[in-house]
Amino acid sequence: MEKIAITGLGVISPSGIDKRVFWANIKAGRSAVEKIERFDASLYPSRIAGHVKELEGYSNVSSRLLKKIDLFSHMALVASELCLEDAKINLADEDLKRVGIFMGNAIGGWLYAETELRDMYMEGREGVSPFMASAWFPAAPQGQISINYGIKGFSKTIVADRASSLMAIGYAARTIIRGKCDFILAGGMEAPVTPYALLCCNTSGMLTESNEHPHSAYRPFDKNRDGLAIAEGAGVLTLEPQSRITKRGAHVYANIIGYGTTTDAVNRIEPSQDAVQLGRAIKIALEDAGLSPKDIDYISADGAGTQIGDATEAKAIKNVFGDYARKVIVSAPKSIYGNMLGASGVLDVITTVLAMEHNMVPPTINYETPDPDCDLNFCVNKAQAKEIKNALIINRGRGGINCVLILQKP
Amino acid sequence: MYTQTDIETKLKSIFKKVLDIKESEIIPGAKLDESLGIDSTEMVEISVVIKKELGITLKDGELKKTYSFNDIVGILKSK
Repeated sequence: MEKIAITGLGVISPSGIDKRVFWANIKAGRSAVEKIERFDASLYPSRIAGHVKELEGYSNVSSRLLKKIDLFSHMALVASELCLEDAKINLADEDLKRVGIFMGNAIGGWLYAETELRDMYMEGREGVSPFMASAWFPAAPQGQISINYGIKGFSKTIVADRASSLMAIGYAARTIIRGKCDFILAGGMEAPVTPYALLCCNTSGMLTESNEHPHSAYRPFDKNRDGLAIAEGAGVLTLEPQSRITKRGAHVYANIIGYGTTTDAVNRIEPSQDAVQLGRAIKIALEDAGLSPKDIDYISADGAGTQIGDATEAKAIKNVFGDYARKVIVSAPKSIYGNMLGASGVLDVITTVLAMEHNMVPPTINYETPDPDCDLNFCVNKAQAKEIKNALIINRGRGGINCVLILQKP
Repeated sequence: MYTQTDIETKLKSIFKKVLDIKESEIIPGAKLDESLGIDSTEMVEISVVIKKELGITLKDGELKKTYSFNDIVGILKSK
Protein backbone atom coordinates (compact mmCIF):
# COMPACT_ATOMS: atom_id res chain seq x y z
CA MET A 1 0.00 0.00 0.00
CA GLU A 2 1.20 3.52 -0.78
CA LYS A 3 1.99 5.34 2.50
CA ILE A 4 -0.64 7.83 3.58
CA ALA A 5 0.44 10.35 6.19
CA ILE A 6 -1.41 11.40 9.33
CA THR A 7 -0.56 15.08 9.65
CA GLY A 8 -3.01 16.48 12.19
CA LEU A 9 -5.33 15.34 14.93
CA GLY A 10 -8.14 16.63 17.10
CA VAL A 11 -9.34 14.61 20.07
CA ILE A 12 -12.45 15.01 22.25
CA SER A 13 -12.46 12.41 25.00
CA PRO A 14 -13.20 11.73 28.66
CA SER A 15 -9.41 11.81 29.15
CA GLY A 16 -9.20 15.33 27.81
CA ILE A 17 -9.64 17.48 24.77
CA ASP A 18 -6.22 19.03 24.31
CA LYS A 19 -3.84 16.38 22.94
CA ARG A 20 -1.27 17.08 25.66
CA VAL A 21 -3.83 16.60 28.44
CA PHE A 22 -5.09 13.47 26.68
CA TRP A 23 -1.62 11.94 26.42
CA ALA A 24 -0.77 12.81 30.04
CA ASN A 25 -3.85 10.94 31.24
CA ILE A 26 -3.17 7.96 28.98
CA LYS A 27 0.47 7.78 30.05
CA ALA A 28 -0.54 7.77 33.70
CA GLY A 29 -3.30 5.21 33.14
CA ARG A 30 -5.74 7.46 34.96
CA SER A 31 -9.28 6.10 34.56
CA ALA A 32 -11.94 8.55 33.38
CA VAL A 33 -14.90 6.17 33.66
CA GLU A 34 -17.55 7.41 36.11
CA LYS A 35 -21.05 6.80 37.34
CA ILE A 36 -23.64 8.22 34.94
CA GLU A 37 -25.42 11.15 36.57
CA ARG A 38 -26.60 13.05 33.53
CA PHE A 39 -29.91 11.21 33.80
CA ASP A 40 -31.34 8.66 36.20
CA ALA A 41 -29.55 5.48 35.20
CA SER A 42 -30.19 3.65 38.49
CA LEU A 43 -32.25 0.89 36.89
CA TYR A 44 -29.80 0.08 34.10
CA PRO A 45 -27.62 -3.01 34.53
CA SER A 46 -24.55 -1.02 33.34
CA ARG A 47 -24.62 2.58 34.48
CA ILE A 48 -21.08 3.90 34.14
CA ALA A 49 -19.40 5.66 31.22
CA GLY A 50 -16.62 7.93 30.07
CA HIS A 51 -17.98 11.48 29.86
CA VAL A 52 -16.56 14.41 27.91
CA LYS A 53 -16.07 17.50 30.06
CA GLU A 54 -15.67 21.16 29.11
CA LEU A 55 -16.59 20.81 25.45
CA GLU A 56 -18.08 24.35 25.55
CA GLY A 57 -14.65 25.73 26.41
CA TYR A 58 -13.30 24.55 23.06
CA SER A 59 -16.40 25.11 20.95
CA ASN A 60 -16.98 27.89 18.45
CA VAL A 61 -20.33 26.51 17.36
CA SER A 62 -23.09 29.14 17.51
CA SER A 63 -26.01 28.61 19.86
CA ARG A 64 -28.28 28.86 16.83
CA LEU A 65 -26.63 25.84 15.23
CA LEU A 66 -26.48 23.97 18.53
CA LYS A 67 -30.30 23.89 18.57
CA LYS A 68 -30.30 21.94 15.34
CA ILE A 69 -27.63 19.34 15.96
CA ASP A 70 -26.95 16.43 18.26
CA LEU A 71 -23.97 16.23 20.60
CA PHE A 72 -22.14 13.89 18.23
CA SER A 73 -22.18 16.53 15.49
CA HIS A 74 -21.05 19.18 17.98
CA MET A 75 -18.07 17.06 19.02
CA ALA A 76 -17.20 16.29 15.39
CA LEU A 77 -17.20 20.02 14.54
CA VAL A 78 -14.91 20.89 17.45
CA ALA A 79 -12.60 17.95 16.72
CA SER A 80 -12.35 18.98 13.05
CA GLU A 81 -11.39 22.51 13.99
CA LEU A 82 -8.72 21.31 16.43
CA CYS A 83 -7.43 18.90 13.78
CA LEU A 84 -7.12 21.46 10.99
CA GLU A 85 -5.29 23.81 13.37
CA ASP A 86 -2.98 21.00 14.42
CA ALA A 87 -2.26 20.11 10.79
CA LYS A 88 -1.67 23.78 9.95
CA ILE A 89 -3.90 23.52 6.94
CA ASN A 90 -5.61 26.66 5.69
CA LEU A 91 -8.68 25.63 3.74
CA ALA A 92 -8.68 28.95 1.87
CA ASP A 93 -5.62 27.60 0.01
CA GLU A 94 -7.29 24.33 -0.94
CA ASP A 95 -9.51 23.17 -3.80
CA LEU A 96 -12.48 22.23 -1.63
CA LYS A 97 -13.93 20.02 -4.40
CA ARG A 98 -10.93 17.76 -3.78
CA VAL A 99 -11.18 17.60 0.02
CA GLY A 100 -13.13 14.73 1.58
CA ILE A 101 -14.67 13.84 4.92
CA PHE A 102 -14.71 10.19 6.02
CA MET A 103 -16.38 9.58 9.37
CA GLY A 104 -17.30 6.47 11.29
CA ASN A 105 -20.29 6.23 13.60
CA ALA A 106 -22.23 3.35 15.09
CA ILE A 107 -25.50 4.64 16.49
CA GLY A 108 -26.34 8.17 15.29
CA GLY A 109 -27.53 11.13 17.35
CA TRP A 110 -29.79 9.43 19.84
CA LEU A 111 -30.18 12.19 22.42
CA TYR A 112 -31.84 14.38 19.81
CA ALA A 113 -33.87 11.48 18.44
CA GLU A 114 -35.18 10.12 21.70
CA THR A 115 -36.14 13.58 22.98
CA GLU A 116 -38.23 14.12 19.84
CA LEU A 117 -39.75 10.63 20.06
CA ARG A 118 -40.90 11.38 23.57
CA ASP A 119 -42.39 14.70 22.40
CA MET A 120 -44.15 12.90 19.56
CA TYR A 121 -45.84 10.47 21.94
CA MET A 122 -46.75 13.21 24.38
CA GLU A 123 -47.75 16.03 22.01
CA GLY A 124 -48.38 14.37 18.70
CA ARG A 125 -46.70 15.03 15.36
CA GLU A 126 -46.42 18.75 15.98
CA GLY A 127 -44.30 18.17 19.05
CA VAL A 128 -41.42 16.98 16.90
CA SER A 129 -38.77 19.54 16.08
CA PRO A 130 -38.25 20.09 12.35
CA PHE A 131 -34.53 19.96 13.02
CA MET A 132 -34.88 16.27 13.86
CA ALA A 133 -34.66 15.43 10.16
CA SER A 134 -31.08 16.57 9.97
CA ALA A 135 -29.88 16.01 13.53
CA TRP A 136 -29.88 12.30 14.24
CA PHE A 137 -28.71 10.28 11.23
CA PRO A 138 -25.16 8.89 11.30
CA ALA A 139 -23.99 11.06 8.38
CA ALA A 140 -25.17 14.30 10.00
CA PRO A 141 -21.69 15.16 11.36
CA GLN A 142 -20.15 14.64 7.92
CA GLY A 143 -22.78 17.05 6.58
CA GLN A 144 -22.21 19.64 9.28
CA ILE A 145 -18.44 19.58 8.82
CA SER A 146 -18.83 19.99 5.07
CA ILE A 147 -21.26 22.91 5.50
CA ASN A 148 -19.01 24.56 8.06
CA TYR A 149 -15.96 24.51 5.80
CA GLY A 150 -17.53 24.39 2.33
CA ILE A 151 -15.94 20.98 1.70
CA LYS A 152 -17.36 19.48 -1.49
CA GLY A 153 -15.25 16.42 -2.25
CA PHE A 154 -15.96 12.69 -2.17
CA SER A 155 -17.06 11.98 1.42
CA LYS A 156 -18.51 9.06 3.29
CA THR A 157 -19.89 7.94 6.62
CA ILE A 158 -19.17 4.32 7.57
CA VAL A 159 -21.44 2.47 9.98
CA ALA A 160 -19.68 -0.70 11.18
CA ASP A 161 -20.42 -0.89 14.90
CA ARG A 162 -17.22 -0.56 16.99
CA ALA A 163 -15.06 -0.74 13.85
CA SER A 164 -16.71 2.26 12.17
CA SER A 165 -13.99 4.89 12.44
CA LEU A 166 -11.07 2.52 11.86
CA MET A 167 -12.82 1.38 8.71
CA ALA A 168 -13.47 5.00 7.72
CA ILE A 169 -9.76 5.75 8.12
CA GLY A 170 -8.75 2.71 6.06
CA TYR A 171 -11.25 3.58 3.35
CA ALA A 172 -10.08 7.21 3.38
CA ALA A 173 -6.46 6.14 2.91
CA ARG A 174 -7.43 3.98 -0.07
CA THR A 175 -9.48 6.85 -1.52
CA ILE A 176 -6.45 9.13 -1.46
CA ILE A 177 -4.37 6.42 -3.11
CA ARG A 178 -6.96 6.20 -5.89
CA GLY A 179 -6.45 9.93 -6.43
CA LYS A 180 -10.00 10.92 -5.57
CA CYS A 181 -9.09 13.50 -2.91
CA ASP A 182 -6.15 15.80 -2.20
CA PHE A 183 -6.57 15.21 1.51
CA ILE A 184 -9.22 13.86 3.82
CA LEU A 185 -10.57 14.65 7.28
CA ALA A 186 -11.07 11.16 8.70
CA GLY A 187 -12.28 9.91 12.05
CA GLY A 188 -15.45 9.38 13.99
CA MET A 189 -17.75 10.50 16.76
CA GLU A 190 -20.15 8.84 19.18
CA ALA A 191 -22.56 10.13 21.83
CA PRO A 192 -24.11 7.02 23.44
CA VAL A 193 -24.52 8.34 26.98
CA THR A 194 -28.27 8.93 26.64
CA PRO A 195 -31.21 7.03 28.14
CA TYR A 196 -32.19 5.11 25.01
CA ALA A 197 -28.69 4.59 23.58
CA LEU A 198 -27.49 3.23 26.92
CA LEU A 199 -30.46 0.87 26.96
CA CYS A 200 -29.58 -0.40 23.48
CA CYS A 201 -25.97 -0.91 24.50
CA ASN A 202 -27.06 -2.75 27.65
CA THR A 203 -29.15 -5.23 25.68
CA SER A 204 -26.08 -6.31 23.70
CA GLY A 205 -24.90 -8.12 26.82
CA MET A 206 -21.44 -6.64 26.33
CA LEU A 207 -21.44 -4.00 29.03
CA THR A 208 -19.75 -4.32 32.41
CA GLU A 209 -22.02 -4.35 35.46
CA SER A 210 -19.26 -3.50 37.94
CA ASN A 211 -20.95 -0.22 38.70
CA GLU A 212 -19.66 0.09 42.26
CA HIS A 213 -16.11 0.62 41.01
CA PRO A 214 -16.34 2.59 37.79
CA HIS A 215 -12.60 3.26 37.56
CA SER A 216 -11.72 -0.42 37.60
CA ALA A 217 -14.73 -1.87 35.79
CA TYR A 218 -13.39 -2.01 32.23
CA ARG A 219 -10.62 -4.60 32.38
CA PRO A 220 -9.69 -6.05 28.98
CA PHE A 221 -7.92 -9.41 29.07
CA ASP A 222 -8.16 -9.68 32.86
CA LYS A 223 -9.53 -13.06 34.02
CA ASN A 224 -12.45 -11.36 35.86
CA ARG A 225 -13.49 -9.08 33.01
CA ASP A 226 -17.23 -8.69 32.50
CA GLY A 227 -17.55 -6.32 29.58
CA LEU A 228 -16.90 -2.81 28.38
CA ALA A 229 -17.87 0.60 29.69
CA ILE A 230 -19.15 2.94 27.00
CA ALA A 231 -17.83 6.45 26.37
CA GLU A 232 -18.64 9.51 24.32
CA GLY A 233 -16.19 11.47 22.24
CA ALA A 234 -14.77 12.21 18.81
CA GLY A 235 -11.52 12.16 16.91
CA VAL A 236 -10.53 13.62 13.56
CA LEU A 237 -7.28 13.19 11.60
CA THR A 238 -5.96 14.80 8.44
CA LEU A 239 -4.73 12.19 5.95
CA GLU A 240 -2.48 13.30 3.09
CA PRO A 241 -0.47 11.68 0.30
CA GLN A 242 3.35 11.88 0.32
CA SER A 243 3.39 14.38 -2.56
CA ARG A 244 1.60 16.98 -0.43
CA ILE A 245 3.77 16.41 2.64
CA THR A 246 6.98 17.42 0.98
CA LYS A 247 5.32 20.29 -0.86
CA ARG A 248 3.91 21.96 2.24
CA GLY A 249 6.48 20.77 4.77
CA ALA A 250 3.84 19.07 6.89
CA HIS A 251 4.61 17.39 10.16
CA VAL A 252 3.90 13.66 9.90
CA TYR A 253 2.79 11.77 13.01
CA ALA A 254 2.80 8.39 11.28
CA ASN A 255 2.00 6.75 7.96
CA ILE A 256 -0.84 4.34 7.30
CA ILE A 257 0.83 1.47 5.49
CA GLY A 258 -1.60 -1.44 5.70
CA TYR A 259 -5.30 -2.19 5.98
CA GLY A 260 -7.31 -5.39 6.13
CA THR A 261 -10.93 -6.29 6.80
CA THR A 262 -13.00 -9.50 6.92
CA THR A 263 -16.24 -10.71 8.45
CA ASP A 264 -16.80 -13.74 10.70
CA ALA A 265 -20.12 -14.86 9.16
CA VAL A 266 -21.16 -16.69 12.31
CA ASN A 267 -23.18 -14.74 14.87
CA ARG A 268 -24.97 -11.39 14.98
CA ILE A 269 -23.33 -10.29 18.27
CA GLU A 270 -20.54 -12.64 19.33
CA PRO A 271 -17.30 -13.05 17.43
CA SER A 272 -16.46 -16.43 15.96
CA GLN A 273 -14.91 -18.89 18.45
CA ASP A 274 -12.19 -19.95 16.03
CA ALA A 275 -10.97 -16.38 15.37
CA VAL A 276 -9.92 -17.45 11.88
CA GLN A 277 -11.34 -14.44 10.02
CA LEU A 278 -9.83 -11.97 12.48
CA GLY A 279 -6.50 -13.72 11.93
CA ARG A 280 -7.02 -13.38 8.20
CA ALA A 281 -7.75 -9.63 8.50
CA ILE A 282 -4.45 -9.25 10.38
CA LYS A 283 -2.61 -11.20 7.65
CA ILE A 284 -4.22 -9.14 4.89
CA ALA A 285 -3.11 -5.93 6.63
CA LEU A 286 0.44 -7.26 7.13
CA GLU A 287 0.69 -8.29 3.48
CA ASP A 288 -0.69 -4.91 2.42
CA ALA A 289 2.04 -3.26 4.51
CA GLY A 290 4.76 -5.58 3.24
CA LEU A 291 5.56 -6.59 6.81
CA SER A 292 5.91 -9.87 8.63
CA PRO A 293 4.48 -10.37 12.14
CA LYS A 294 7.92 -9.93 13.72
CA ASP A 295 8.07 -6.36 12.36
CA ILE A 296 5.22 -5.29 14.63
CA ASP A 297 6.33 -3.57 17.84
CA TYR A 298 2.93 -2.87 19.36
CA ILE A 299 -0.64 -4.09 19.02
CA SER A 300 -3.52 -1.79 20.01
CA ALA A 301 -6.22 -4.33 20.74
CA ASP A 302 -9.94 -4.14 20.20
CA GLY A 303 -10.15 -4.98 23.92
CA ALA A 304 -13.92 -5.48 24.12
CA GLY A 305 -13.48 -6.68 27.69
CA THR A 306 -15.90 -9.58 27.23
CA GLN A 307 -14.90 -13.16 27.98
CA ILE A 308 -15.30 -14.36 24.40
CA GLY A 309 -14.17 -11.12 22.75
CA ASP A 310 -10.79 -10.94 24.43
CA ALA A 311 -10.18 -14.70 24.27
CA THR A 312 -10.83 -14.83 20.53
CA GLU A 313 -8.77 -11.72 19.90
CA ALA A 314 -5.86 -13.29 21.81
CA LYS A 315 -6.33 -16.50 19.81
CA ALA A 316 -6.14 -14.65 16.50
CA ILE A 317 -2.98 -12.83 17.57
CA LYS A 318 -1.37 -16.10 18.68
CA ASN A 319 -2.35 -17.84 15.45
CA VAL A 320 -0.78 -15.15 13.31
CA PHE A 321 2.20 -14.20 15.44
CA GLY A 322 3.18 -17.68 16.66
CA ASP A 323 5.96 -17.62 19.27
CA TYR A 324 6.38 -13.89 18.76
CA ALA A 325 2.89 -13.45 20.23
CA ARG A 326 4.45 -13.77 23.66
CA LYS A 327 6.88 -10.96 22.96
CA VAL A 328 4.95 -8.33 21.02
CA ILE A 329 3.51 -5.73 23.40
CA VAL A 330 -0.27 -5.51 23.49
CA SER A 331 -2.61 -3.08 25.22
CA ALA A 332 -6.13 -1.65 25.08
CA PRO A 333 -5.84 2.00 26.20
CA LYS A 334 -9.57 2.42 25.72
CA SER A 335 -9.85 0.77 29.14
CA ILE A 336 -8.82 4.20 30.46
CA TYR A 337 -11.61 6.37 29.03
CA GLY A 338 -14.21 3.83 27.90
CA ASN A 339 -15.23 2.25 24.62
CA MET A 340 -16.31 4.96 22.22
CA LEU A 341 -18.07 2.41 19.99
CA GLY A 342 -17.91 3.81 16.46
CA ALA A 343 -15.30 6.38 17.42
CA SER A 344 -12.99 3.95 19.23
CA GLY A 345 -10.86 3.32 16.13
CA VAL A 346 -9.81 6.92 15.59
CA LEU A 347 -9.04 7.21 19.32
CA ASP A 348 -6.86 4.10 19.03
CA VAL A 349 -5.03 5.69 16.09
CA ILE A 350 -4.57 8.99 17.98
CA THR A 351 -3.30 7.18 21.07
CA THR A 352 -0.91 5.12 18.95
CA VAL A 353 0.57 8.06 17.05
CA LEU A 354 1.09 9.98 20.30
CA ALA A 355 2.73 6.85 21.73
CA MET A 356 5.04 6.72 18.69
CA GLU A 357 5.87 10.40 19.18
CA HIS A 358 6.75 9.90 22.84
CA ASN A 359 8.44 6.50 22.45
CA MET A 360 6.11 4.99 25.02
CA VAL A 361 3.62 2.13 24.84
CA PRO A 362 0.23 3.16 26.27
CA PRO A 363 -1.17 0.85 28.95
CA THR A 364 -4.18 -1.34 29.44
CA ILE A 365 -5.49 -0.64 32.93
CA ASN A 366 -7.27 -2.75 35.55
CA TYR A 367 -5.24 -5.81 34.57
CA GLU A 368 -4.80 -7.74 37.81
CA THR A 369 -5.38 -11.44 37.22
CA PRO A 370 -3.92 -13.06 34.11
CA ASP A 371 -6.16 -15.29 32.03
CA PRO A 372 -4.44 -18.37 30.53
CA ASP A 373 -6.60 -17.90 27.40
CA CYS A 374 -5.19 -14.40 26.97
CA ASP A 375 -1.52 -15.10 27.55
CA LEU A 376 -0.05 -12.20 25.66
CA ASN A 377 2.59 -9.66 26.66
CA PHE A 378 0.58 -6.75 28.00
CA CYS A 379 1.70 -3.27 28.93
CA VAL A 380 -0.32 -2.73 32.06
CA ASN A 381 -1.41 0.16 34.21
CA LYS A 382 1.22 2.75 33.21
CA ALA A 383 2.96 3.56 29.93
CA GLN A 384 6.29 1.80 29.24
CA ALA A 385 9.23 3.32 27.44
CA LYS A 386 9.70 1.69 24.06
CA GLU A 387 10.22 2.88 20.52
CA ILE A 388 7.31 1.89 18.32
CA LYS A 389 8.23 1.67 14.65
CA ASN A 390 5.29 -0.41 13.43
CA ALA A 391 1.92 -0.66 15.19
CA LEU A 392 -1.06 -2.86 14.43
CA ILE A 393 -4.55 -1.67 15.46
CA ILE A 394 -7.48 -4.07 15.74
CA ASN A 395 -11.14 -3.02 15.92
CA ARG A 396 -14.09 -5.39 15.78
CA GLY A 397 -17.84 -4.95 15.58
CA ARG A 398 -20.98 -6.99 16.11
CA GLY A 399 -22.06 -8.92 13.08
CA GLY A 400 -18.55 -10.37 12.91
CA ILE A 401 -16.78 -7.28 11.61
CA ASN A 402 -12.97 -7.38 11.75
CA CYS A 403 -10.83 -4.39 10.82
CA VAL A 404 -7.06 -3.97 11.06
CA LEU A 405 -4.88 -0.93 10.33
CA ILE A 406 -1.06 -0.75 10.39
CA LEU A 407 0.81 2.48 11.19
CA GLN A 408 4.51 3.18 10.73
CA LYS A 409 6.60 5.88 12.36
CA PRO A 410 8.07 8.13 9.67
CA MET B 1 -58.14 39.67 18.12
CA TYR B 2 -54.50 40.73 17.99
CA THR B 3 -53.47 44.22 16.89
CA GLN B 4 -50.69 44.78 14.40
CA THR B 5 -48.42 45.89 17.25
CA ASP B 6 -49.24 42.79 19.32
CA ILE B 7 -48.36 40.57 16.40
CA GLU B 8 -45.13 42.42 15.65
CA THR B 9 -44.02 42.27 19.28
CA LYS B 10 -44.85 38.58 19.65
CA LEU B 11 -43.27 37.67 16.33
CA LYS B 12 -40.06 39.51 17.20
CA SER B 13 -39.82 37.58 20.44
CA ILE B 14 -40.43 34.30 18.58
CA PHE B 15 -37.68 35.12 16.08
CA LYS B 16 -35.28 35.98 18.89
CA LYS B 17 -36.01 32.70 20.64
CA VAL B 18 -35.92 30.37 17.64
CA LEU B 19 -33.02 32.00 15.82
CA ASP B 20 -31.04 33.17 18.83
CA ILE B 21 -30.70 36.69 17.40
CA LYS B 22 -31.05 40.24 18.72
CA GLU B 23 -34.10 42.33 17.82
CA SER B 24 -31.87 44.79 15.98
CA GLU B 25 -30.94 42.07 13.48
CA ILE B 26 -34.49 41.85 12.16
CA ILE B 27 -34.86 43.97 9.01
CA PRO B 28 -38.65 44.18 8.57
CA GLY B 29 -38.73 44.50 4.77
CA ALA B 30 -35.88 42.13 3.89
CA LYS B 31 -36.25 38.52 2.74
CA LEU B 32 -35.65 36.24 5.71
CA ASP B 33 -33.33 33.80 3.95
CA GLU B 34 -31.13 36.62 2.70
CA SER B 35 -31.14 38.84 5.79
CA LEU B 36 -31.10 36.21 8.54
CA GLY B 37 -29.93 33.09 6.72
CA ILE B 38 -33.13 31.30 7.69
CA ASP B 39 -33.55 27.78 6.31
CA SER B 40 -36.74 25.82 5.70
CA THR B 41 -36.54 23.84 8.94
CA GLU B 42 -36.30 27.07 10.94
CA MET B 43 -39.43 28.32 9.13
CA VAL B 44 -41.27 25.18 10.24
CA GLU B 45 -40.07 25.73 13.81
CA ILE B 46 -41.29 29.32 13.70
CA SER B 47 -44.74 28.13 12.49
CA VAL B 48 -44.91 25.65 15.35
CA VAL B 49 -44.07 28.30 17.95
CA ILE B 50 -46.57 30.74 16.37
CA LYS B 51 -49.28 28.12 16.85
CA LYS B 52 -48.25 27.53 20.46
CA GLU B 53 -47.94 31.20 21.45
CA LEU B 54 -50.46 32.96 19.21
CA GLY B 55 -52.90 30.11 18.67
CA ILE B 56 -52.74 30.75 14.92
CA THR B 57 -52.58 27.60 12.75
CA LEU B 58 -50.63 27.86 9.52
CA LYS B 59 -50.68 25.37 6.67
CA ASP B 60 -47.50 23.42 5.84
CA GLY B 61 -45.31 25.65 3.75
CA GLU B 62 -47.53 28.70 4.18
CA LEU B 63 -44.62 30.70 5.58
CA LYS B 64 -41.81 30.81 3.06
CA LYS B 65 -38.23 31.71 3.88
CA THR B 66 -38.30 34.19 0.98
CA TYR B 67 -40.93 36.26 2.75
CA SER B 68 -40.01 39.24 4.92
CA PHE B 69 -40.88 39.87 8.57
CA ASN B 70 -43.56 42.32 7.39
CA ASP B 71 -45.02 39.74 4.98
CA ILE B 72 -45.46 37.31 7.86
CA VAL B 73 -47.07 39.93 10.10
CA GLY B 74 -49.52 40.53 7.25
CA ILE B 75 -50.34 36.83 6.95
CA LEU B 76 -50.88 36.47 10.68
CA LYS B 77 -53.07 39.57 10.83
CA SER B 78 -55.31 38.15 8.12
CA LYS B 79 -56.06 35.00 10.14
